[in-house]
Amino acid sequence: MIATRRTFLKTTALGGASLIIGFNGKRIFAADSPSEFKPNGWVKIGEDGTVTLTIGKSEMGQGVRTALAMMLADELDADWSRIKLAQAKPGPGYEDLGTGGSGSMEDGWATMRQAGAAARAMLITAAAEHWKISPNECKTEQSVVLHNGSGRKLEFGAIVGDAAKLPVPKDAPLKKPNEYKFIGRRTAKIDGPDVVTGRGRYGIDAKISGMLHASVERPPFKGAQPKKMDEEKALAVRGVRSIVRTDHGMAVLAENTWAAIKGRAALAVEWSEPPSDAFDSEVHAKKLEAAAHERGNVTRHEEAPAGTPPSARTIEATYSYPFYAHAPVETMNCIAHVEGDRCKLIVPTQAPNRVQKQVAQFLGTSPDKVDVEVTLIGGGFGRRLSADYAVEAAEISRAAKAPVQVLWSRPDDMKHGHFQAASAHYLSAGLDSLGKVVSWKHTKAGSFHNLSAIDEKETRNEDWYRGWSWGVYDFPYVVPAIQTAYVPVDLPIKHGPWRAVFSPGSVFARETFIDELAHESGADPLAFRLELLQGPETFKIGRDTYDRRRLRRVLEVVREKSDWGKKVGARHGRGVACNIYDGRNHIAYVVDVDVNEAGHVRVGRVVAAVDCGLVINPIGVEQQIEGGIIWGISSALGGQITFKNGAAQQSTFADFTVARMKDAPEIEVHMVGNENAKQPFGMGEPPVPPIVPAIANAIFAATGKRIRKLPITPNDLA
Amino acid sequence: MTMSNITLTVNGSTREVDVDDDMPLVWILRDTLALTGTKFGCGVGVCGSCTVLEKGNAIRSCQIPAHEAKDRSFLTIEGLSRDGNHPCQRAWLEEDVAQCGFCQPGMILTACSLLRDQPNPSDESIDAAMSDSVCRCGTYPRMRKAIKRAAAAMQKPAG
Repeated sequence: MIATRRTFLKTTALGGASLIIGFNGKRIFAADSPSEFKPNGWVKIGEDGTVTLTIGKSEMGQGVRTALAMMLADELDADWSRIKLAQAKPGPGYEDLGTGGSGSMEDGWATMRQAGAAARAMLITAAAEHWKISPNECKTEQSVVLHNGSGRKLEFGAIVGDAAKLPVPKDAPLKKPNEYKFIGRRTAKIDGPDVVTGRGRYGIDAKISGMLHASVERPPFKGAQPKKMDEEKALAVRGVRSIVRTDHGMAVLAENTWAAIKGRAALAVEWSEPPSDAFDSEVHAKKLEAAAHERGNVTRHEEAPAGTPPSARTIEATYSYPFYAHAPVETMNCIAHVEGDRCKLIVPTQAPNRVQKQVAQFLGTSPDKVDVEVTLIGGGFGRRLSADYAVEAAEISRAAKAPVQVLWSRPDDMKHGHFQAASAHYLSAGLDSLGKVVSWKHTKAGSFHNLSAIDEKETRNEDWYRGWSWGVYDFPYVVPAIQTAYVPVDLPIKHGPWRAVFSPGSVFARETFIDELAHESGADPLAFRLELLQGPETFKIGRDTYDRRRLRRVLEVVREKSDWGKKVGARHGRGVACNIYDGRNHIAYVVDVDVNEAGHVRVGRVVAAVDCGLVINPIGVEQQIEGGIIWGISSALGGQITFKNGAAQQSTFADFTVARMKDAPEIEVHMVGNENAKQPFGMGEPPVPPIVPAIANAIFAATGKRIRKLPITPNDLA
Repeated sequence: MTMSNITLTVNGSTREVDVDDDMPLVWILRDTLALTGTKFGCGVGVCGSCTVLEKGNAIRSCQIPAHEAKDRSFLTIEGLSRDGNHPCQRAWLEEDVAQCGFCQPGMILTACSLLRDQPNPSDESIDAAMSDSVCRCGTYPRMRKAIKRAAAAMQKPAG
């Protein structure tokens, strides 16, 4: 399965020997000569016993640094307290440093363990040679090689020089699950102490010598031109050095951040009038709704087998999903220093290679001339997969001929995002005379990402359209006739991946409509789902296989743990929803809500069950479930982004509201399915999609009002 | 805009800075004094990332211009404890609160202020004190537990 060509790079590091094993994101990397050796991750064990793990994944709160280190430490039998982390930089030929799609656990699973196991085998061999015994007589623990018979010990650090001279073993054996010491153990986040002391270094905290600070007035809508501005007044602000006009807007550069902000205000740019057809989200929503009723590009089509009872009645509904901002608390920022054909960047990014490539392309230089240093990230959620803010910083630095930090204000961040795109969903289902679902149809009208251009030569087949409509074609229930389709609708504003990408809107529509059908059939919505999951245990659609048993199991767990059948009081409701994300992660939620007379919703409790494969760090899984639930509460009950005259209308957390402490429910997380799991799957995104429909269904249970549009406002329920 | 040399005390050290009268304290701390533990999140006092303490009270450093910060004394996350061993910092680690961590210095200092006023806060008091701050990662349930843990630790007699 996994390529296992291996090598180590022998180095004579300053001050002593070390053992280094390199690998890229997919496999341990081999090279015939060190000059070909370009790892994006490597394990280095120094003479002092410090294990330095250099990783290419960006830490943005998902706990990736801790989880990857755990995988490595386990196979290496390392002393956890001696593990240090370093952040990789993209180099030419390294195209896989990106962090997104909840893929880091899968990416790291093979390579981290192989690197750890190879290094451990070499250390054992070195110790055994030293003692003139067989390696089989040795074992390792806590960064020490032990001789079983004599009790002799050698610390890893003492033998790295000898180990580094050995050939890298082919297929060093990996541990069996019952031998794991770190994997599956509750492990505190490796960056925790830095966070609570304020030492954590995020992009915004970085500095380089001679750096100017820039604040940028960006065009409010596509094509806006500056009509009038007061450069003299801006330049008169103390500390302002210059004003740079770029493709991205008017940048005011100053000696400190505040002077840049004041200078920008003094510049008082007046922009040209928007055209009459400038983007308007209300108009767009109508377009989406109309498009959702078209036939569209079919992404799945299954005919009812002969003998299926006819449909006695048809239920249909249209769901509307809005635009959202990512709104990480750390706004976009980037340090750039362009000197000749070279550029240095310090940037909180999920996509170091994309940043490197796009900045190089913009500057007309080669990627190897662009040095990208990745910092800790104060919230990514997909926004930092885009390179726009790095290209902008490079442009400003080049024009200003100075190192510069561009810091986005909160309104800049809110108005110039790569938004979660709106969508509309038409659903219809046929019920037979007994209330059984005999046909299902779900058409999504949405928009392709415009993070980077889509190749016109792209084959736009069924599979391609499926790629834009997760949560639609992967309908997990057993229904005789199924048709799903996707209708692309042009969207002229920037939009891109957001936590769980295309799924949240689709799963909101699907899981709410399932609830509508349960209600129409007079069935309990949880029992109704379990019933609809009876049939073939697995099915394959697109690239993934889906396992209904695992989805049933998480539903059964939340049924039991939430005491599902319990009677609840007036204006109190319980709702359920579930989802399989990417064929890998199975999650069910039971949500309790109270809706008061004024229509205010309070989510009181959420019981979650998750089967995400092998759990590396239970704390990490819990945190992602909790975070995904809070994220969903924000999108169900908080703000949305609307557009008028081509511009986003919201600008802060006051008008794009997000969940606060008072909105946080009690959360219970139950992890199941771990016992037979072969490998881990990432948990950043999967918790998001099913939470909003579970809330919507709980609101229906409390009020009898069906939610078909987000976000939910008190007016909808009063 | 007038500029001036103002004197203020940060984490026990008296500092003289030459800044514009209207420069908010958050930028004095971050840009002038290189104390980057205090974060910038919104600039308009609605997110809480820039929270610092003054006489134990949580205040938003983006809302205090230099001329008002003059001659006052502030505590930032860097000054909360010598080794990260303040009960709130310890509780934050023990409850594994942080995800991205960016908002957490402000959250910890807000919690310190709450616990100064109410050594044994109810859920309602925690909601009231903490709900002016934003954590986009959604660490609220763990913060709630950490605040209660810190409260318990602070009530134990020293030693």
